[in-house]
Amino acid sequence: MNTKTPAFILFGLLALRSLAAAAPAYDFFVCANINRNYVIGSKIVTTNGIFQRDAAGEWQHLGYNDTGISALAFDPRDRNVIYTTGLNGLWRSLDGGKLWRMCNDWTMTEARDVAVDPHAPDHVYLALPDGVAFSSDRAQTLVRRENGLPARGKYTQVLQIDRTRVGRVLAGCELGVYLTEDAALHWRQVLPTKEMVFDLQQSPHDPLVWLAVTQSAGAWRSVDGGQTWKQLAAVPTTHPLYNITFDVTNPQRLAIGSWGLGALTSEDGGQTWINRNAGLPAPHRVWRVGVDPAGQLYASVVAETLFVSADFGRTWKPDSLAGSLVNKFLIQPKSAQ
Amino acid sequence: MKRAFISVLFFSISMLFVAAQPAFEGPPPSSVPVLDPVKRRAEYQARVKEIINWAAEGGQAKTDDPAKLDLAMIAAKIVLREDMPGCSQRVINLMSEPGTGPFWMFPTVCIAYLGRDHLTPEALASIRTAWRTTRQLRGDTENHFAMYYISLYLMAELYPNEPAESWYSGKTSAENLAEARSYLINWMDLATTVGQGEFNPTHYIGEYVIPLQFLANWAKDPEMKKRGAMMLDWLFAELAANTLNGVLRGPNARTDEGSTIERWQAMASYFSWLLFGNTPSTAGYGGWGLYFAPLAANYEVPEVIYRIATDRAGDYLQRDRARTRRFWRYSDELSPPVYKTNYLRRDYAVGSTRGGLLDVIQAHVWDVTWAESDPRGKHNTMFSLHPFSSMWAMQSMFVTYPEPMIKAVAFEGKPSYDSPDKIMGSSPYERVCQDLDTVIALYDIPADTRFPHINGFFSKDLVNLSEDPSGWIFAQGGQTYLAYRPLAPYHWEKYLHHSSGWAKVRRDLGGRLLVSPHLKNGTIVQAASASEFKNFAAFKAAINALPLTFRLEPTPSVQFTSLRGKKLAFTFDQDPTVNGRAIDYAKWKLFEGPYLNSELNSRKLTITHGKLERVLDFNTLTVTDRVK
Repeated sequence: MNTKTPAFILFGLLALRSLAAAAPAYDFFVCANINRNYVIGSKIVTTNGIFQRDAAGEWQHLGYNDTGISALAFDPRDRNVIYTTGLNGLWRSLDGGKLWRMCNDWTMTEARDVAVDPHAPDHVYLALPDGVAFSSDRAQTLVRRENGLPARGKYTQVLQIDRTRVGRVLAGCELGVYLTEDAALHWRQVLPTKEMVFDLQQSPHDPLVWLAVTQSAGAWRSVDGGQTWKQLAAVPTTHPLYNITFDVTNPQRLAIGSWGLGALTSEDGGQTWINRNAGLPAPHRVWRVGVDPAGQLYASVVAETLFVSADFGRTWKPDSLAGSLVNKFLIQPKSAQ
Repeated sequence: MKRAFISVLFFSISMLFVAAQPAFEGPPPSSVPVLDPVKRRAEYQARVKEIINWAAEGGQAKTDDPAKLDLAMIAAKIVLREDMPGCSQRVINLMSEPGTGPFWMFPTVCIAYLGRDHLTPEALASIRTAWRTTRQLRGDTENHFAMYYISLYLMAELYPNEPAESWYSGKTSAENLAEARSYLINWMDLATTVGQGEFNPTHYIGEYVIPLQFLANWAKDPEMKKRGAMMLDWLFAELAANTLNGVLRGPNARTDEGSTIERWQAMASYFSWLLFGNTPSTAGYGGWGLYFAPLAANYEVPEVIYRIATDRAGDYLQRDRARTRRFWRYSDELSPPVYKTNYLRRDYAVGSTRGGLLDVIQAHVWDVTWAESDPRGKHNTMFSLHPFSSMWAMQSMFVTYPEPMIKAVAFEGKPSYDSPDKIMGSSPYERVCQDLDTVIALYDIPADTRFPHINGFFSKDLVNLSEDPSGWIFAQGGQTYLAYRPLAPYHWEKYLHHSSGWAKVRRDLGGRLLVSPHLKNGTIVQAASASEFKNFAAFKAAINALPLTFRLEPTPSVQFTSLRGKKLAFTFDQDPTVNGRAIDYAKWKLFEGPYLNSELNSRKLTITHGKLERVLDFNTLTVTDRVK
């Protein structure tokens, strides 16, 4: 490199670095169903699907108007490569949502979750009601990879990829949490449950820390990358826990969404939990909670709308995404594009 | 003023004409089989013409205003070559707001093919465009997949060699075709080896046979064309063998409240009317049934099937297998086998499965249905059930959280699901055994279940109902004597009918429910023809003389000698015995009876009536007819 760099270029680089440091490190997306009265065959009369929160705090619609998107993922190399799951299975767009391909055939249906390995971005994992599928070619082709999953009881609700190691994935299934360390070639059970594991999350602050929530066995924490698990004693087991989330701005802050318990938060890393339903409509049926890159807490309340809290659940106000039911909050490291 | 009156009168008369549905409104058709094939064919074609004319003249909309045509009306007009410019414009208008799933796909396929040489290029292009721009949902049931993939198959054949970006699926014509073909062959394999999941559906029969008829007519691939035609025969043979004077009775994988009690009130009746001419059509020709009509002239029901439906020499027992709906979770099997017993006589029919969970919402497990000379408006059936409502069951079969499901199901056209007085649905706490015209249903219901009781349906059309001191309840329906034995105390409640679909109003149709609030419970029903006895009193005396012992604790168990002299012993969750021998369900064939026979996993159905025989062999894709 030429050691004599022009001053205006140096100034420009410094300015860019300064901007990069100031900008949030994450983008924030939701899969939102706004047309709650939709049934198969009818016309879709509202805008549903993927929305991204922009810098002004407004939601920008991306991709397709689909009422049933259950999850989404991006190729970390290229934000134009989008994967969504829904009734038909897995959809993929290579051009930012203009054209879509249904990636699976009839042998796979009603996909629940999709995940892309950041260390092998061509590798796509698909959660299915009857197991797990894997692709090594950006979902152009999908194959079953279920060795080690039970013959029955492999309903897979959630897949989370360990961002520290290629091919290391945890799956939340009907009969527990399963781990693969070889890109789904082999799975083993690391947390047994009698009913569904509904959500799994890896801490954005410490990759060894994982959390899981379940249908009837409460919430669980792992501090060794998902190898062993310990129940979070302060989280009730009386109601199903639909999802759990970290706060990227604060390692001590966690939130749970529950049918019956509503919104629960912890600000001490999960040692104690507080009911944060004051200001949310009753009955306390929270479909999903999420935390945006600025630390704002969201709660999607069944049959109501999306609510947002600037003080981590102490007070709430309706969000601008009126009438929505959020199936997924996704916080994603900002990509190059 | 006079002119205005005449105009109104003319309009009213014309509307009457437009709305006329002889098959629905006229007297019931003759039950005498038409043995002359020329006459039979002519009568069939007259029925087809009646449907086409009705639809072309406005159908349910009662208007032939082109701006208000739906796709079924357009299809009929294309058949009659009426107003092609108006139809073309209407297609363009309708395609500007496409639907989103199989119920939209197959009607558009119908228009795309029927209109190939008749609609304007712009109209045909509008359909093609909608298939590019609008994501089509595949649905989550067996009938959804059948409609979806037959539609996709035919559109991919109609527009071959087109690129991925020209289809909503993002796949090329060849990819769409291959995927659809693969599914359809797999589905046919399943249906012809271990049976349908949605067996004997009262309404959904249309969602299978209509697209199958499209496949049989329009597929370019001779194999798929043949498969479509053979599956049509397969399903219509099942319909023929399971109907009583054209009326499909239970058990049914999927039905609704209306057709559970008014057995005729089903799309299956429309097909019986059309194919066999032995029952009135339902109103509006079954709604979706209109899409069968444009190609109906190309189909000729095989005589052997026609004769099974209309010309029965005597009583018969048919034992068949099928599958449950898919259990995604909380089950050891994805789709456990279903064992069906059907016993049909001139005056009545008795049918059942073994109980347990079939379809989580819409199954009908067993009943006695009696014949009515005119079944319209008649609630000609008797049965009991445990009104099971469960988030867990919902979760086992649907890919959603369980907690909101019950409310969602009630919203999506199944309003009775969570009602304690419902009369539809299967239960994991019910077990049923049947021998000829005797049914024993036992219930062992956990204390924490949502509705801890059983419901017995007693029709408004029963006569001579009496509660005998012996514990038997006697009644007569049509020419059928019925004896109903509740095994635990009960009380009566008015039956309030949930109209199907999105209607939330409940109506008193005159029936009653026998409600027995006991967890350990049971029902015995014995049917007989009135002609078998000197009078009703003689029937009662015969029933009261039958040996019966039972206990409910710790597990419900019955020993009963039936009117046919069979010693039945049945304990909840155990295989029943008949004359000391356990019924060995593992040995059951796919179909076994005088009319339909098929070995399990054989892909081959032998349809027999007297000397007539037709063999549908999906191994060789051959149809063999012979006169024995």
